[in-house]
Amino acid sequence: MSQTQSLKLGSSDTSFLGRARLVVARRTEGRGVALLAIILVVVSLTQPLVFTAYPVSLGRIALIGLVALGLTAVILMGELDLSVASTLAVSGVVMALIPDVWLGILAALAMGLVIGVINAFFVAVVGINSFIATLGMLFALRGLAYILSDETPVRLTDTDAGIAFGQALIGPLTPRVLIFVLAFLALQIFVSRVKAGREFFAVGGNRQAAYDAGIPVKRRIFTGFMISGFVASLAGVINTLERTAADPRAGLTVLLASFAAAIIGGNYLKGGRGSIVGTLIGATALGVLQVALTLSGIQVPVQEIFIGLILLLAVTTDPASLRAVLGSIRSVRQGRSKSRA
Amino acid sequence: MRRSRIGLASAGLMAVAGLTLAGCAAAEEEVATEAGDTTEEAAPAEETFDVYALLPQGNDQAYGTTYLPPMEAKAAELGINLTITNSEYDGDKQASECEVAVAAQPDGIILWPAIADTIRPCLEAADAAGIPVWVTNADVNPEDAPLTYGYSGTDSYGQGAASAEIMCEIVDGAEIGIIQINGVTGNSVATLRGDGFRETIASDCPNVTILAEQPGDWVPDKSQIAASEMLTSVGVENVQGMYAADDSMIKGGIDALKARDLDPADFFITSIGNTFLGNPLVVSGELDGTVFQSSSWDGENAVVGIYNAMTGATSQGRDDEGSVLYMPNPKVTAANASDADVAPEW
Amino acid sequence: MAKETLTEVITVAQGDEQQPSKPRSVLPWMAENGIFIFTALLILGAAVFVDGFASLVNITDVFHRAAPIGIVAVGMTFVVISGNYLDLSVVAQVATSAVIFLAVSNVYGVPIAMLAALLAAIAYALVNGIAVGYFKANAVIVTLSTTYIGIGVLRYFSGGSIFFGPEDGPIRAFGTAKLGPVPYSALVLILVTLILAFVLSRTNFGFLVRSFGVNESATRLGGVNTGYVIVGAFFVTALAAMVAGWVLAAFSNTAVSSMSTGYDFQALAAIIVGGTSVFGGKGSVLRTLLGVVFVSVLTNILVLSNITFGYQQVALGILIVVAVTIDALSRKVGTR
Repeated sequence: MSQTQSLKLGSSDTSFLGRARLVVARRTEGRGVALLAIILVVVSLTQPLVFTAYPVSLGRIALIGLVALGLTAVILMGELDLSVASTLAVSGVVMALIPDVWLGILAALAMGLVIGVINAFFVAVVGINSFIATLGMLFALRGLAYILSDETPVRLTDTDAGIAFGQALIGPLTPRVLIFVLAFLALQIFVSRVKAGREFFAVGGNRQAAYDAGIPVKRRIFTGFMISGFVASLAGVINTLERTAADPRAGLTVLLASFAAAIIGGNYLKGGRGSIVGTLIGATALGVLQVALTLSGIQVPVQEIFIGLILLLAVTTDPASLRAVLGSIRSVRQGRSKSRA
Repeated sequence: MRRSRIGLASAGLMAVAGLTLAGCAAAEEEVATEAGDTTEEAAPAEETFDVYALLPQGNDQAYGTTYLPPMEAKAAELGINLTITNSEYDGDKQASECEVAVAAQPDGIILWPAIADTIRPCLEAADAAGIPVWVTNADVNPEDAPLTYGYSGTDSYGQGAASAEIMCEIVDGAEIGIIQINGVTGNSVATLRGDGFRETIASDCPNVTILAEQPGDWVPDKSQIAASEMLTSVGVENVQGMYAADDSMIKGGIDALKARDLDPADFFITSIGNTFLGNPLVVSGELDGTVFQSSSWDGENAVVGIYNAMTGATSQGRDDEGSVLYMPNPKVTAANASDADVAPEW
Repeated sequence: MAKETLTEVITVAQGDEQQPSKPRSVLPWMAENGIFIFTALLILGAAVFVDGFASLVNITDVFHRAAPIGIVAVGMTFVVISGNYLDLSVVAQVATSAVIFLAVSNVYGVPIAMLAALLAAIAYALVNGIAVGYFKANAVIVTLSTTYIGIGVLRYFSGGSIFFGPEDGPIRAFGTAKLGPVPYSALVLILVTLILAFVLSRTNFGFLVRSFGVNESATRLGGVNTGYVIVGAFFVTALAAMVAGWVLAAFSNTAVSSMSTGYDFQALAAIIVGGTSVFGGKGSVLRTLLGVVFVSVLTNILVLSNITFGYQQVALGILIVVAVTIDALSRKVGTR
């Protein structure tokens, strides 16, 4: 008896719906989009102010999203960068300490690049696990921020420049939002059109194969961490300008929110899968949620429980996790039936 | 290539569609509520106000936990709907919450700045929107004060100074060395109290030398270890006194003395707070003096203040009478520790 | 059949470890034994150069520093060895345990308080363990979310209030009791370390935890219900955090929700410095204890020398990086 099995390869289905289904199945942003849709619907019914006062919501999204975008570059390669919080803080402090605004901005951005290089050195050259290396940098840079600032906030010499920066520039959009949009576009183009950026996925997906394929993995790692460091210091500069002072303790809440945004957007922490668009979606979801919660006046501890639950749900309901759980349940049941047999 | 473009396009379209739909729904609702508001205002039934309270602490700290209930009670009494935030002393978070608050167009804002140096943009935004701002507990910088309608609360620097004054008094001119335990590093209250204490000691009784300072992070266990290590480091024989920025921390310091079989009564010890932990220590003689901080006064007067601002009793700039209400900083020593008017609140 | 495959896996991994390091490579030897040498040097150096370090009172202070963090760290070693990076929720767990312990004991007595704290620990262990073990979600994010939830719940019920026990209660008595210069809390630390070291190295469960870290896929292929193993690892951490909360509450006879800030990263730093690899598989509870001692002594020395907080953080950061660099370089040299 011969059984002919015809394997219907997805790519052979050339109808539009077939192709669209394939695309949707391969994209990782599905859950992020679903979550965003739910949040948008619920919020529009309960806190419509989030949309009518959209410059504020966009500002919050930009606050979370900017650092998250830089982080995504590193996460795509399968690495982590915990030091972004301290990079943000120490860049802000350095900028505020320098009297000339433009020189200060340059110094701060340069610092971000240098920190990225140091991180990449430990990860790519020395071979330390990036979680640990950037954890050590998180502590060390925070300490540096405290030392440089003498443990108190440092005021900008030119506060008018700072206040001007906080005003709307194009329409109701502030420079922060515009820079965020530019950063998103730049990174999205880099990761999808530029060869070096596309190789990030390979470096994250299967590092050995990437080496074998001739991809300069070490150089890509350096690029990734430099992006992350630069974006973090950019965020530090923006924060310092808008606040007219640099706080050496800044950044910790943004760190957690940025990771959450990247995860919710479908980026795999092991690397190789994910997208910049996903991070944008995740940041949008989180930002809208946070603003809505603030407006709702729900007690703050309850807000935190809310965010924790959403994060837990987001991370346990990705396809791989669900498959794993179903597999475990199935094997447990099989195990039981076998022992009965 | 085309697939990723399709994917990108569909994701983008969905997001835009979602936002547009939501925006439409919102616009419709807003029109409805606006119409509703006008009809409400026409009938002057009970006047209610919407007020945002931007706080840097709440249920995460002992003081905040007892600040909130009197605040909420007073608000209910005066017909105010309070929306409360907690930025946990994160300047960026508070700035973002301020933006949200201004966008909500409330009748008034109660502001407890997390970081005084970074709060000006928030004040300017509220001013531009015509929303009165009343500052509570920790004041803004002097150059930003004219943007506000008033201030009620403590004076962290003054509290440190008051504690120093008690210290100077009990030391009475003797040449002694003391150790200092500060709050969380970088926290504005910790910094102000530390500065107030240090500078008052230097000016009023330079016979007292501060031999070492370490943070106790507002908790007794870390303070106990920090105090004990400071005693080891400068030598116990050189220390005759101790100061902590808060009663919980001084408790740790006192325990450090007891662990070395030293009697706290032999030392000159002062702190700030007059809390449930601190007051009994004053009564028992282990703590020589503390400064009373009434969280209920603070919470209540924040609401009274914004009410006055919203009803026009005070106007912008701190020129009117009643636009600055300083919480009294009564010193609590063995003499008055058991009095009812300094009964601890938190 | 399953056990055989696993045994092979572990033997190969242990074989790698136990290979006598060629004398010409200093680095692998350093990575293995460095922590012992450095700790000894540090203590000796401090005793000689730092005034007051070698006094009985200061030794007690070092023990006081080491005990709560140490108990958390030795427990968390299980999670790290299983290849799951760390458990961020220990911060929430320690605070929850301390607050429940004191608040409940004031009203219902110590045994009921311990039971209540145990219930909370079980809840944390189940949520963390199931999400990471069965849903295969990333441990960092899962424990981050449970931290949010846990702290939110704790603050909702307790606010930021400081709870304290009676001055003459049994908790206070435990907190101030000492055996020579060794406080009871340190004795608890030593006891917990010995028990957990035994569990990790000599029981089947410990064996599975280590094999999970060495080669996750092989362990899963071996057919063992690996979900249990991870739940177990988080359970150990939760129990350890619970005990640490009791010890911490007893020390000052107070409990407040902000008491345990920093415990997650400090415990991780101690584990790393002790030589346990974040990659999983390699390490031991005893090493973690040594790492705890090292970090506690170092912090103690910094405070005794009046070094400010900023520099302390920098020192801690550099320490972590150096420790892991040695480990990473030695691994590279070893495989050449």
